[in-house]
Amino acid sequence: MTKLDARMPDGPLQQKWEQRLEEMKLVAPNNKKKHDVIVVGTGLAGASAAATMGELGYSVKAFCIQDSPRRAHSIAAQGGINATKNYPNDGDSIWRLFYDTIKGGDFRSREGNVYRLAQVSNHIIDQAVAQGVPFAREYGGDLANRSFGGAQVSRTFYARGQTGQQLLLGAFQAMMRQVDRGKVKMYPRREMLDLVLVDGVARGIITRNLVTGEMERHAADAVVLCTGGYGRTYFLSTNAFNSNATAAWRCHKRGAYFANPCYVQIHPTCIPQSGDYQSKLTLMSESLRNDGRVWVPKDEADVDKPPHQIPESERDYYLERKYPAFGNLVPRDVASRNAKYMCDKGLGVGATGRAVYLDFRDAIEEQGRDVIEDKYGNLFHMYHKITDEDPYEVPMRIYPAVHYTMGGLWVDYELMSTIPGLFVAGEANFSDHGANRLGASALMQGLADGYFVIPFTVGNFIAEYDVQKVSTDHKAFDATEDDVQDQIERMMSIGKEGSRTVIEIYRDLGKIMYDQVGMSRTKEGLEQAREEIVGLREEFWNDVKIPGRADGYNKMLELAGRLADFLELSELMAIDASERDESCGGHFREEYQTDEGEALRRDDEFCYVAAWEYDEDGDPKMHKEELEFENVELSTRSYK
Amino acid sequence: MAQQTMTVHLKVWRQSGSDSQGRFEQYTAEDLNPHMSFLEMLDVVNEDLIHAGEDPIAFDSDCREGICGTCGFVINGQAHGSERGTTVCQLHMRSFNDGDTIVIEPWRARSFPVIKDLVVDRDAFDRIISAGGYVSVGTGPKPDANSIKIGKDVSDKAFDSAACIGCGACVAACPNASASLFTGAKITQLALLPQGKPERTRRVQRMVHQMEDEGFGNCSNIGECEAVCPKEISIDNIAKMKREYLRAMLSDT
Amino acid sequence: MIPLKRALSSPVGRKFVMSISGIALVLFVIVHLLGNLTLYVPDGGETFNRYAAGFDAIGPALYVIELGLLAVIVIHIGWGITTALKNRKARPDDYAVSVNSKGGPSNLSLASKNMIVTGVALGIFLVVHIWHFRIRKIYVADNTEIDGQQHADLYALVHTAFSDPFWVAFYVGAMVFFGFHLRHGFWSTLQSLGAMKPEWSKGIYALGFLVAVVLTVGFMGIPLYIYFLA
Repeated sequence: MTKLDARMPDGPLQQKWEQRLEEMKLVAPNNKKKHDVIVVGTGLAGASAAATMGELGYSVKAFCIQDSPRRAHSIAAQGGINATKNYPNDGDSIWRLFYDTIKGGDFRSREGNVYRLAQVSNHIIDQAVAQGVPFAREYGGDLANRSFGGAQVSRTFYARGQTGQQLLLGAFQAMMRQVDRGKVKMYPRREMLDLVLVDGVARGIITRNLVTGEMERHAADAVVLCTGGYGRTYFLSTNAFNSNATAAWRCHKRGAYFANPCYVQIHPTCIPQSGDYQSKLTLMSESLRNDGRVWVPKDEADVDKPPHQIPESERDYYLERKYPAFGNLVPRDVASRNAKYMCDKGLGVGATGRAVYLDFRDAIEEQGRDVIEDKYGNLFHMYHKITDEDPYEVPMRIYPAVHYTMGGLWVDYELMSTIPGLFVAGEANFSDHGANRLGASALMQGLADGYFVIPFTVGNFIAEYDVQKVSTDHKAFDATEDDVQDQIERMMSIGKEGSRTVIEIYRDLGKIMYDQVGMSRTKEGLEQAREEIVGLREEFWNDVKIPGRADGYNKMLELAGRLADFLELSELMAIDASERDESCGGHFREEYQTDEGEALRRDDEFCYVAAWEYDEDGDPKMHKEELEFENVELSTRSYK
Repeated sequence: MAQQTMTVHLKVWRQSGSDSQGRFEQYTAEDLNPHMSFLEMLDVVNEDLIHAGEDPIAFDSDCREGICGTCGFVINGQAHGSERGTTVCQLHMRSFNDGDTIVIEPWRARSFPVIKDLVVDRDAFDRIISAGGYVSVGTGPKPDANSIKIGKDVSDKAFDSAACIGCGACVAACPNASASLFTGAKITQLALLPQGKPERTRRVQRMVHQMEDEGFGNCSNIGECEAVCPKEISIDNIAKMKREYLRAMLSDT
Repeated sequence: MIPLKRALSSPVGRKFVMSISGIALVLFVIVHLLGNLTLYVPDGGETFNRYAAGFDAIGPALYVIELGLLAVIVIHIGWGITTALKNRKARPDDYAVSVNSKGGPSNLSLASKNMIVTGVALGIFLVVHIWHFRIRKIYVADNTEIDGQQHADLYALVHTAFSDPFWVAFYVGAMVFFGFHLRHGFWSTLQSLGAMKPEWSKGIYALGFLVAVVLTVGFMGIPLYIYFLA
């Protein structure tokens, strides 16, 4: 347990980061170019880190699995990015954003990290504006703000419904400028398949060229992992088709602890699945719940009836009924969980029976169609396009979907994992969101890590450790590449004879995860899930069918490798969820709820980060990082 | 409610690698749910191919919600299919008729070499961006964001140009395989904003010349690019690029 | 500043060359048509010959003007052909199903797709046309007396030609190409110069149609008028 030193600076919360920056060792300008840094993933965290380190003078190699770094999944974030500018003069401050984030995370995150996040939030906005990111503005030329995700202040900056896209393009362009200057070398269509350790320090990676299938070795003085979350463990999620946990998981297998894997955010307002062929769900902004009313039929016999034939008296507006104070605006996890309960009871609607209505009839009647169109026109259009149903006429059907994972590789205050030289930023780490993430905070964290934390902490590491060059001919590279090659060959040889496609097995995993490790969990269910996952993993390693060859473009081989990792990570998620005998944030255990059915947090026993050490025999060891709250008082939320 | 299903006949371009000869292969996709997206239909076809021991059809896709720009191919002579303002991942089978024959081809341009089947290499776009599609500012202390005032009209216009997802449909649909809409959109976004003005001369020059060096064709003002653009970016961005270029030709520096 | 040589061969600069030369040619063609309208005067060609004789008064300067015009034509054709070749090279393997317009803002049409075809056809026409009436005016035409001076009887040359159904068909056909070329070209010159705003775009495109029709009908009418009526 000695290993879990968060390296948190002493001193008051407000001065921790500044103090650390002042203490850090620096790399001399003329020496920086001699130091290679690998950045894996080019989303908000990766692109911003690569750009900034390139500017500073390091020789950066950036890798992405997409055909272009501009396509990383950060691009799909819709809502916005928080910052404590207090432009609307509504009393926002660094402290408030800090407190809201800590509270939103159900007191399961580190004070110091979250405070730093709130502190640098304003720099992100300044940085993005300087880059020409076209944020929404007022007629007078000032930036516009809105309130998001139930926040009591308007601190969210946005660019229509494409904030993630615009921020990512800003970071991408900054990185491409460094590509032009020769400071960043870009490697698209590369998948990181392993981490190379020399004397216990991260010194390189093995990648597979996704076009030629070739194995490639890259050495560096530090490796920065910015590879996103593991939401695709659930197969169906709002994450992109290629999003995966492989890079993170393989680092875990090389010794990086995985923290809080059970913390998963499930977003309540997604477009429901229309059939088994689907592999991806689409999110709609939760602002829809400001005016839409959620309901299901009271009677199971009515679920197949067209909604307008169900009279008012036969509708159950269950959120309004159960939570009179907050009604349809209860937090994401509460809304999601209740939708699941209703569908479990057989009251779900739509072709699959896994959906509830989100009805705008009353809002249109009260406010007029124009007003509703003005507020949600683009969302209604998107819904109409996907489902072929007009939400002005027919209530929307929605269902929760996995959206974001708060857990990730354990990192200290400097975002370094338990492997020296391996840094983890963005959604891939566990650091800032605790057990649940606030709306519009993911973009903030990715960019905070990439622009304002990683470039300095990596420099500090390089200066402090005095790392010596290693060559890719080092035997550690030979051994690691052999491991990767062996796994691919093994999969290909099973894949020739197997009978179940990768997608089929993957879909089964998703079902186990949604059913037992999803919105509502029980010890029993989690243990059952664990067994099923182990069985499915065996099935995968005996009967998976993989077409084609390993020496070229082979999407199914890529996916098989990722699924192999998900089949291990999912088990750890179930173990973590089963060990955490409490309900907090995105983790809800049915055994731990109040009499009113609310999450019951158990601060006396579970106020810690669960950081898991990999074990080859399937018996991972938990290391606890106790969370100390010196500045905030732990409170319990209530939405009645 | 009995779900209506449909059948379509596919003629798909198959090409095993960039140097190999391609050809059309025919497939029939049956029992399709009309609410499937086009890519989901291909997923289903691929599952059948895998079971039959054949190589699945290679195509790129990622977000499947029309924002990442990864997917795209030509369906019956139309980039991203017949619907306007749509990527193929957001195109649904209900926009086809039962029994239709659908011809699927990759983006075709010298600068977008085919990698496999429907997958093409669009690195040329990234090189155009790295030639100048940015504001040259480093990370670090910056003036307060509100110290730069940008009127809503200008900001909205810049956003319209910035909405490009880099999918390459403009090149695919252009009879000349020109990348003018892609290049023009980025030049326009940054030329409209005060942040982009200091280096506009260098930017337009470098980006236009990079576009030429990549081997894209010339704009003939046909405007099919705008018609196929999933974000419906206007060819006014091309006109703006031309004004910027003219300005650069006449500028002293 | 961009080196002129690089600029004029760049994708943007080369279109400036096409546009400016194109505008010059359109202006010339308008003047040419206005002059040729004298052919419609039913006076046995006297007005037309008088108008044609006016050029002789310019003296040797006429050759300078003509050479200038020829230069513009050569530039327009030269840049047009190299541009088209580059475009062809940009897509070595064509689609099996050729681009099928999505409509909306697209101006994809027979006219816009085939500028190089109509352009090359017009180039060939020009050679014939210059030989037919400009060279033959010097070497073949009879003389006629206007105000006591000898001038070439250009009207006789025209009249003879347009009494022959082959030449009527040739000129009428060429004007079809001319119409198509102008239909897209008129709008395109302005767009290529960046002298276009989205709100004008539709109007100018419609105006392009009108200009193309008026000029085409104006020219096309001449052989038909002479063949059938004069």
